[in-house]
Amino acid sequence: MDYFDINLDLTEEDLALREAAHKFAKEVMRPVAKELDRMACEDVVAEGSPLWDFLKKAYELGYHKVLMPDHVGGMGLSPLQVHLVFEELGWGSFGLSVLLAVLGFPAFCAVLSNDDELIEKFAIPYCECTDGSIRGCWAITEPDHGSDHLGLGEAFFSSPDMRCSAQARLDGDHYVISGQKSAWVSGGTISNVALLHPQIDRSRGIAGSGVCIVPLDLPGVSKGKPLDKIGQRDLNQGEIYFDAVRIPKSYMIFEPDFYPEILETILGFANLCMSIFSTGLARAAFEEAFSYCKERVQGGRRLMEYYSIKQRIFRMFSRVETCRALSRAAANLNFNVSPPVAEYSLVAKTTATQMCFENAHEAIQSLGGNGLTKEYLTEKLFRDARATLIEDGNNETLDRHGGHIIFESYPRSRDEI
Amino acid sequence: MPLFKDAALAQELFGDLWTKMIAETQFGKELKEAGITILFAVHDPDLSMYVDENGPLFGEEAQEKTPVVTMKMSLDTAHWFWLKKVNIPKALALRQIKAKGPVGKVLKILPLLKPGQEMYPDYCRKYDLPTE
Repeated sequence: MDYFDINLDLTEEDLALREAAHKFAKEVMRPVAKELDRMACEDVVAEGSPLWDFLKKAYELGYHKVLMPDHVGGMGLSPLQVHLVFEELGWGSFGLSVLLAVLGFPAFCAVLSNDDELIEKFAIPYCECTDGSIRGCWAITEPDHGSDHLGLGEAFFSSPDMRCSAQARLDGDHYVISGQKSAWVSGGTISNVALLHPQIDRSRGIAGSGVCIVPLDLPGVSKGKPLDKIGQRDLNQGEIYFDAVRIPKSYMIFEPDFYPEILETILGFANLCMSIFSTGLARAAFEEAFSYCKERVQGGRRLMEYYSIKQRIFRMFSRVETCRALSRAAANLNFNVSPPVAEYSLVAKTTATQMCFENAHEAIQSLGGNGLTKEYLTEKLFRDARATLIEDGNNETLDRHGGHIIFESYPRSRDEI
Repeated sequence: MPLFKDAALAQELFGDLWTKMIAETQFGKELKEAGITILFAVHDPDLSMYVDENGPLFGEEAQEKTPVVTMKMSLDTAHWFWLKKVNIPKALALRQIKAKGPVGKVLKILPLLKPGQEMYPDYCRKYDLPTE
């Protein structure tokens, strides 16, 4: 379903990008996502799975490189255009959207590193890939460390007592990595390169971590089983294990001396993406309820004629507009300043994920019993939306971090930017 | 103690550097093709430098322009940046360098500046600035 955009300044190019992304989301993403959602998690990534055809189509059209700048072969989109495309992808499938975003995380960070060798080795081939064969992942959380990995500014974050599983130690010109990352690594079992956060300097706790790029075909890498979960079942997730894996020192792109600050930057981008995908999901839920209530006759009247339904539909519409306005404003800020202003990515993520969950919940309420059945999209949207409240930092942790930033920096001066 | 004794010295050095980059390398052409204009707003001492494919402008003339990308840093940081001795992601993360403008354009500028970074050590020798 098309929507009215309150930004009347969208160009022909903006509108064409949005339309193309919507067509892809509707005709490719939704059918594949529905199919994958009903498959066993092992089958989702097995040979012959529709996932592989989906990835090939997505790569052919360039949807794996939406965030990548054009000088390395990326789409080179403006912040607004990234938002327009990502909202459509989120509308098509939240899980597959997250997958497409994380597949490019190592390549994106290779560009951020400004290191010619890494750009040549990881970013350019990724952008040139048209068959879905180069796949990245973002390996940060661990079995014993989830959202606390994002505990920036808290005393525990820098405590030597915080021992991580994944450890990297320097050995001559190489880092040697051992340990594991959690089952929540998106793309974990299907990726061939990881953006990995190992601990390097234990005396600094989690703050003593680094960020490196690890090719996953190196000796010592092994993977766990795909994770079976309630929602976003089309998003592959699973553990990665490292047993004395050696990477060149130059692959450690960010080291402990500025790890908290660079983590804030990476998190700022990730949270923004989550907020935009959530806008798409919130809209999908709204549209399901809207269409159903216009058609469905119950008690002798169409549902849309009921007072309470009108109220609910307007609340859902309001949430979509709020999510879009907030996430777009945050994207316009944080895709335009370096480093990003973290609290605006955080407020966009926590607000949009909460609102998309509320819309998914109210879509089911609108459809009544039908909303709970597999016949309608609403039950999948609900399960997918539930995961967003935890994904990329549970919202309580992100709220806590946002509060910390506010106490440290409010009100910000324009000179800081 | 700042490395540059005053803004006039920086203006002379960078004026010559930008002009030479545009005249002798592909920098100006690439800047135009990329649709990028840059304002370097440096401090200690304060100086505004605006650069597009036509050459540099300084001071008030520079401030009147609307650049695609603005980069703010101390003149000392700028000096070490031109000597390729600044870890850019680290400097950005620590706000030693602040950039305003589409992230993709900011990332695109860095490789475009490389010809100037090759020339800069000669300027250090000419103006008696440290290279280590």
